[in-house]
Amino acid sequence: MPFAGIDIGSTMTKVVITDEQEKILASHIGPTGAEHRHLALKVMDETIKKAGLSFDALDFIVATGYGRINVPFADKQITEITCHARGIRFLFPTARTIIDIGGQDSKGIKLDADGKVSNFVMNDKCAAGTGRFLEVISETLGIALTDMGALALSADGFVQISNMCTVFAEHEVTSRLAEGAGVAEIVAGLHEAIASRVVNMTRHLGIEKDVVVTGGGAKNQGLVKAIEGKVGFAVFTPPEPFITGALGAALVGKDFYDRGIRPAKERKKEEVTFFS
Amino acid sequence: MEQAQQAKTTAVKGTDTAREVRALVKNIYRSAHEAKANGQKVAYMMVASQYDEILRAMDVVPLPTENYAGLCAAKRDMDRFLLKAEADGYSQVLCSYARIGLGFDSLRKDLGHIPEGSPDGGMPVPDMMLGSSAVCDPRFKWYQAASRYLEVPTYGIDVVAPPPQDDLNAVRDYYIQYQRDQLKGLIGFLEAQTGKKMDPDRLWEAIRLGDKAWQLWYDIDRLRVAIPCPMPSQDHFSIMVAGHYYSGTQIAVDFYQKLYDEVKYKVDHKIGVIPDEKHRILYGGGLPPWHTLWIFNYFESFGAVFVIENVYRGYDPVEVPSHVKDPVDFLAWRAFLRFTRYHEKARARSGNPIVEKLLDMIADYKIDGVVFHACRSCRATTIGQTHMKSELGKYSDLPMMQLVSDMVDLRDYSEAQWKAQIGAFIEALEARGK
Amino acid sequence: MTVMQAIDRLYNERGVRARELRADGHKIIGYFCCFVPDEILAAFDLVPYRIQGSQSEPIDEADALLEPMACPFARSCFNLALKDRYDFLDGFVAPHSCDTIERMYHIWHSNKPTSFDHLINVPHMLGPSSDAFFRNELKYFISRLEDFTGKKLDESKLRDAIRLYNRRRALLREVYDLRRENPPRVSGTEITKLLVAGMGIPAAEHIGLVSAFIDEVKKRPRPAADGLPRIFLWGNEIDDIAFVSLVEECGAHVVMDDLCTGSRFFWQDVSETGDPLEALARRYLCTHCPRSLKPQAGNRREDLENRFGYIREFADGWKAAGAIFYIVRYCDTCELEGPDLKEYLTDLKLPVLMIEDDYSTSTIGQLRTRIQAFLEMIM
Repeated sequence: MPFAGIDIGSTMTKVVITDEQEKILASHIGPTGAEHRHLALKVMDETIKKAGLSFDALDFIVATGYGRINVPFADKQITEITCHARGIRFLFPTARTIIDIGGQDSKGIKLDADGKVSNFVMNDKCAAGTGRFLEVISETLGIALTDMGALALSADGFVQISNMCTVFAEHEVTSRLAEGAGVAEIVAGLHEAIASRVVNMTRHLGIEKDVVVTGGGAKNQGLVKAIEGKVGFAVFTPPEPFITGALGAALVGKDFYDRGIRPAKERKKEEVTFFS
Repeated sequence: MEQAQQAKTTAVKGTDTAREVRALVKNIYRSAHEAKANGQKVAYMMVASQYDEILRAMDVVPLPTENYAGLCAAKRDMDRFLLKAEADGYSQVLCSYARIGLGFDSLRKDLGHIPEGSPDGGMPVPDMMLGSSAVCDPRFKWYQAASRYLEVPTYGIDVVAPPPQDDLNAVRDYYIQYQRDQLKGLIGFLEAQTGKKMDPDRLWEAIRLGDKAWQLWYDIDRLRVAIPCPMPSQDHFSIMVAGHYYSGTQIAVDFYQKLYDEVKYKVDHKIGVIPDEKHRILYGGGLPPWHTLWIFNYFESFGAVFVIENVYRGYDPVEVPSHVKDPVDFLAWRAFLRFTRYHEKARARSGNPIVEKLLDMIADYKIDGVVFHACRSCRATTIGQTHMKSELGKYSDLPMMQLVSDMVDLRDYSEAQWKAQIGAFIEALEARGK
Repeated sequence: MTVMQAIDRLYNERGVRARELRADGHKIIGYFCCFVPDEILAAFDLVPYRIQGSQSEPIDEADALLEPMACPFARSCFNLALKDRYDFLDGFVAPHSCDTIERMYHIWHSNKPTSFDHLINVPHMLGPSSDAFFRNELKYFISRLEDFTGKKLDESKLRDAIRLYNRRRALLREVYDLRRENPPRVSGTEITKLLVAGMGIPAAEHIGLVSAFIDEVKKRPRPAADGLPRIFLWGNEIDDIAFVSLVEECGAHVVMDDLCTGSRFFWQDVSETGDPLEALARRYLCTHCPRSLKPQAGNRREDLENRFGYIREFADGWKAAGAIFYIVRYCDTCELEGPDLKEYLTDLKLPVLMIEDDYSTSTIGQLRTRIQAFLEMIM
C-alpha cells in the first residue's frame, strides 16, 4: 500500500513514497520551476516511475510546503510543521526539538514525548535566519553558496555581524572587508549570526534534547557547527535533510489511512498552481 | 551616561565634571546592593515620574531600570539580555529598555544570581517596583510583566498632563487633584512597604534639594548659549544622571554647583568643546544612541558640535503658588506647571509645545542644524519627530536630519548608513554657511 | 435588501451611512478606540463614528508625517484621513488610549483639523481617584461639546442614550450567545462584518440590523457536528474580515473574542441608576485594554487571575480549544501583555498561537502556515 508525500517549496519540490511498513520506496527532488512553478507534477511522476507504481495505485497523497494549497491531485494539505515533525520523529525517535532552516523561512518545532507537535515558532517575514540571507551575502562576496559552510569552518575565529537585517548586514560586510577583516572570518560571523537567530527563536519553545537540524541549512556544516556552539551540545542531521518534509507528508498520509480516512475527492492530475 | 568609553574615543574637550558621572553611575548600583545588605528598601523606578523626592524622603533606594539598559548598551553588553527577553516571548519591536530589563530579570532568575560580568555589578532583586505613566506606556506595563520573574509588590501611578489645546483654567484643579491623589496612593503604598510614616519635613527638604539642583542644572543650560559651546550634548547625556537619579539629594546639588562653576569658567574664558566650531547642532529629540555615543565625536570631526538637546532634560523652573502648604500638593502643582510650561506659547502659534521649545532653542543657542534620532523601539520619543520637522520647517529653514536606529538595540543601527547621512548633512550645513 | 446584504453594504462601503446622514444635516463625530462614550455624543444628537483603518490599502501618504514604527492601524487611519476619506467628519475625538493614538491626535489635528478636535485624557491606572478624574475629563468634554453645538447637555437625553446603547449591548451579547452552539450557525467572519457595520451608524439603526441578524441566524438549520476546533481570539484592532476568514478557512470556528473591535466595546453595560457621568466614567475606564493597569492583586497567580479571569470565562463558556492572539505590530502594551496572558492560558491547558501582524491583507497569507499548523497541533 503506497503513500506519497509531496513537499512543494518555492524552488524545489520533493516527493517521497512509502509503503504501509513505513519503508521508503522512492524519493525524488526536482525544481518547482522558477517562472511558472508548474514542475511539481513532473517531480511526482518521476518518483512514481522510480517506485515502479502508477498514479492510481497511491492510497493517500499529502501535499505540504509553501505550494501545498492548490495541489489538484492531493488528498490533504498539511503544513510542513506537522510533516517535518512526523518525518524527523520517524528518523530520530528520540527527537524533541527540530530546527528547520529553509530557503525562505526557518522554524523551530517542539515535540512532546509521543512525538506530537506541542509548540512551534516561525521566523517573521524576514530573510534573517534563512538560507536566503546567506544567499544574498554569498552574492555580495562572490562566493558560491555551497562553499560558504566550508569556508566558515576554515576561519580562525569570527567577525561579529550585529545586523540581521539583510540589507544592513550587506553594508556591514562591506565595511568589515574594507577594514581588512578576513573573508573566512566574516563568513563565519554570518553563520554565527544565523545560528544565533534561529537558536534564539527556538528558545521560545525551550530547547530539549535530542535536537535535529533539518532543511537546506542542515547541509551546511558550518551552520550546523555554529548551532551546536549555541545550544551547547551535538545536534543530529538527517542523511537527506531536503526530503524530511515529504517523508513526513507520506507518513501523515499513512496515519490518515490507518485511521480509516480515505481520499475524499477525485484527484485531478493537473499542474499545481501557486496562487489562488 | 557612560563616560569611560567616550573618554577613550573622544578627541575633543568636554567638561571635567562630566567625567565624574561614571562614579555616580557606579554608585547607583553599589548603593542598591549595600541597601539590600542593610535591610533598606530598594525600588525599581522610572525617571521623570514626579516621585523622586518622595523616595528620598522615605529612604527608598532608587534603582532606575531604564538607566541600566542604557548602561548595558554603552558597555555593548546588551545582546544577552535582549535575546533572553526575546526567547521568553517578547517581541523584537518592544521597547528595548524593557527588553533589557526583562531579559536581565529573567536571566537572574534562571541563574539564581546576577549574571556574570553584568555592567556595574548588575541590579539586585528589588523590594518593589514603581511604574508610572509619565512619558510612555511601557513604563508602567513593564513592571507588571516583570512580575513574571520577581514576585515583589508592584505599584503604578498616573502622571497626567493636559493636551495643549485644553483651557488650563478649566482643567487645572482636577488635574492637580488627581496628581495629588496618585502621589498619596504611592505614599500609602510606600508606608506599607517600609513600615514608616512619611515625614512631611523630610519631604520638604528633599523637594528643596531637588529644586535647587534643577535650578542649577537649568542655569548651566542657560550658560550653554555661549559661543563657543562650553559643554556638548555628550556631556548632557552623562550629567543628567545627577538630576534624574539623584534628585532630592545634596549629591545632585553639589554636582551641579561644581559643573556650573566649570561651565561658567569655560564661558568666561571662551573655551569651546572643539577648537574650530563651525556648526552648532540641536539634538532635537529621541533617546540617545547609547550603543554608539562616539558618533557625536564623528560630527565634531567636521566642526559640528551638539550644543543643546531636547531629551532627558531637566524641567524648567516653575513657580508654585505660595498658598500651597502641603509638600504633596506642591509636587502635584509642580508637575502640572512643568507639563504646561509651553502650552500658552503653543496656543499662540504652532499649537505644539515641543515645537515652541525647539524654536526657542534654535534662537537662543544660535543653531545651524537640527538632528533627531528615531528609535525603532521607542514610540514615545520617536512618533511626532517627522511631524515636528515639518512644523519647524514652517518657521525655520535650517537643515534637519533624522537618524534611525534604536536607543540600545544595535541590530537596528547601520554605521555605514549613518556616516553617509551625516556626510550629506554636513554638506548641507556647509552650503548654508557660504 | 436582506439583512446580510445590508450588513455587507455597510461593511464594504465604510462611511456610506454617515455620508447620507450628514447630507440630511446631521453632524458626524469620528473617534478612536473604546474609551469615548458614544452616549455623550448621542445625547447631543451627534452621530458617533468609530474610525477604522483599511487593511487592504497600502499606507503611503501618512509615511511623510508619521513614523513607520508607529502602530500600522493608527497609521492607516491617518492615511485615510489624509486622502480625504474621512471628509464627512465634523469632529474628531481621540482618547489618550496609548502613546501612538495620543501622538497621532496632535499630528492629525495639525494636518487635518475639523471644526471639533478633542483629546480625552484617560487614566492608565484604575481606582476611585481615576474614576473621579475621568468623570471630570468627560465633564470637560461635555463643556466643549456644549460650545460646539451651542446647546446645554440635557441629562434626560443622556440617560436615554445610555439605555439605548445598553440595548445594543444586550443584543450583541445575544449574538455572541449564538456562538456557543457547536458548530455555531454564525461564523466569526459574519460577526466581524456585523460589528464593523455598526461602527459607522447610529445605535438605533444598528439595533435594527442586529435584531434582524439574530432572527436570520435562528432560522438557519443546525449544521452537523464537524469536529473543527473552536477558537478564541485576543488582540487589538480587527476591522477587516481577512484574518478571521483565514482562520476559518484553515478549518476552525472563531467563536469568541477579546478585541477592541469585538466584545471589549460592548460586553459591559453602563449603570442606568445614579449619576450618569459617574456611571459612564466607571464603565469606560474598565474597558479591557492592556493600556490600563489593574492594581496588583496578591501573588503572581492571583494577579493573573484578577487580570484575566474574564478571559477564562470566555474560553470556558464558549468551549474554546485554542486561543489565537492577533497583535498589531508596535503595540507595546499588547506586546507586554501577550506573554502574561499566554502563561495564564497555558496553565489552563489552552494552547496559544501568538501572531504579530502588520495590519495588512497583502501579507496575511503568510500567516496561513502558522495558523494551519496550530490547528493541526490542537486537533
